[in-house]
Amino acid sequence: MTSATPAKRPKSPPLPTQALLAKIFHWANLISLFVMLFSGLQIYNANPVFGGRGGWHFPSFLTLGGWLGGGRGWHFAAMWFYALNLLWYGLYVLISRRWEKRFASGNDVKALQVSQNAKRKNYALHRLVYTAILPILVLSIASGLAMYKPASFHWLSSLFINWQTLRTVHFIAVPIIILFTFIHSLLALRVGSIRLIKSMFF
Amino acid sequence: MSKPISRRQLLQWSGLSSASLLLNGCRLNLGSSEVGQAFEPLNQATQALLLTQKPVPEFPVSEIEPDKLLINTFDQTPQLDPAKYRLQIEGEVNHPMQLSLTDLQALPLTSMVIQHVCVEGWAAIVQWGGVRLHELLRLAQPKSNARYVYFKSADGYYESWDLASATHPQTLMAYQKNGQPLSADNGAPLRLASPIKLGYKQSKWVTQIVLTNQLMPTKGYWEDQGYEWFGGL
Repeated sequence: MTSATPAKRPKSPPLPTQALLAKIFHWANLISLFVMLFSGLQIYNANPVFGGRGGWHFPSFLTLGGWLGGGRGWHFAAMWFYALNLLWYGLYVLISRRWEKRFASGNDVKALQVSQNAKRKNYALHRLVYTAILPILVLSIASGLAMYKPASFHWLSSLFINWQTLRTVHFIAVPIIILFTFIHSLLALRVGSIRLIKSMFF
Repeated sequence: MSKPISRRQLLQWSGLSSASLLLNGCRLNLGSSEVGQAFEPLNQATQALLLTQKPVPEFPVSEIEPDKLLINTFDQTPQLDPAKYRLQIEGEVNHPMQLSLTDLQALPLTSMVIQHVCVEGWAAIVQWGGVRLHELLRLAQPKSNARYVYFKSADGYYESWDLASATHPQTLMAYQKNGQPLSADNGAPLRLASPIKLGYKQSKWVTQIVLTNQLMPTKGYWEDQGYEWFGGL
């Protein structure tokens, strides 16, 4: 948090701090991703990936947009915030060399395998999990773009073998992201308690 | 397919959406059309920028998926007599024309195996055979102020396209599907087919092509309900 906060108990560890840009990314990502997710379920319902028209549909309280046209309206508006947010953050992580310190590396894998220190192991796992979500977010954009513009980005669409595989890969992001949200929150709590979580949001 | 959902489905959805509007909609669904409209200019500009006259890579004949092309209509399936059928081309053209099916079939036949993508989310690899719209427009000679192409169908369906997409080398007025004459369900005797636009842009049973210099308030059956106009792929 802020250094202006007076430390009441000098013995307690310093409050965790996060870079302002990391907090902005985290907020924008969380909000845009959930708009993508709920409007995506609306689009899904027009022709379920599994089973087609006869397939199982998501209940309407999980969908955003009211109908297919409305769902597409939200999805193709939020995509700009979601994709551009990830783009500037990726550039920031590269340019600031943040990836060297703040993301998982071989050391974390090693710690998980050999460390006897439970705290170090939790920390390594936490870093590995939040690092691993980044390629999944990028994959959701790539598969989405391949479905949104399969003629313009034919080379990209053809990487996904066929349309059903492409739709499945794009949809798989939904359960992965929901699962990630839970695991990521739990690991953050375990590693740095509520103070770490607060530091990322405020 | 030109018409992605049935009337019954639309009614069901409108019922569902009113229900969800009452339940949670004040928070979630209200403003959906505003959001769509706010971002349509940006999305459309991006799609127009991505559009080129370069042909989209095609698929081998062995990859055609005959069962995957679903039939969507917004109303009834018109049964048109091929002998009496005429295609009218008019509006902002120097040579308004009226073509019979025999006239159309005398023009060069273009065949393509492309992916047909429906707004609903499904897709099918289909072979279409027909006349390039570009060829028909070359004969009709659009005036220099022509910007848009309207398509009117025998069932009352209507669509409008940007001229650049209409003159794409793979935009066909098709009378064949998967090597066979087009069936009534698929739009016989003549329909639009193209790999660069969503299915609802690809009108079936086209009887009239009108070139205009501006987009009218009615842009297309589904566009007027809230689908985006450009619908590019």
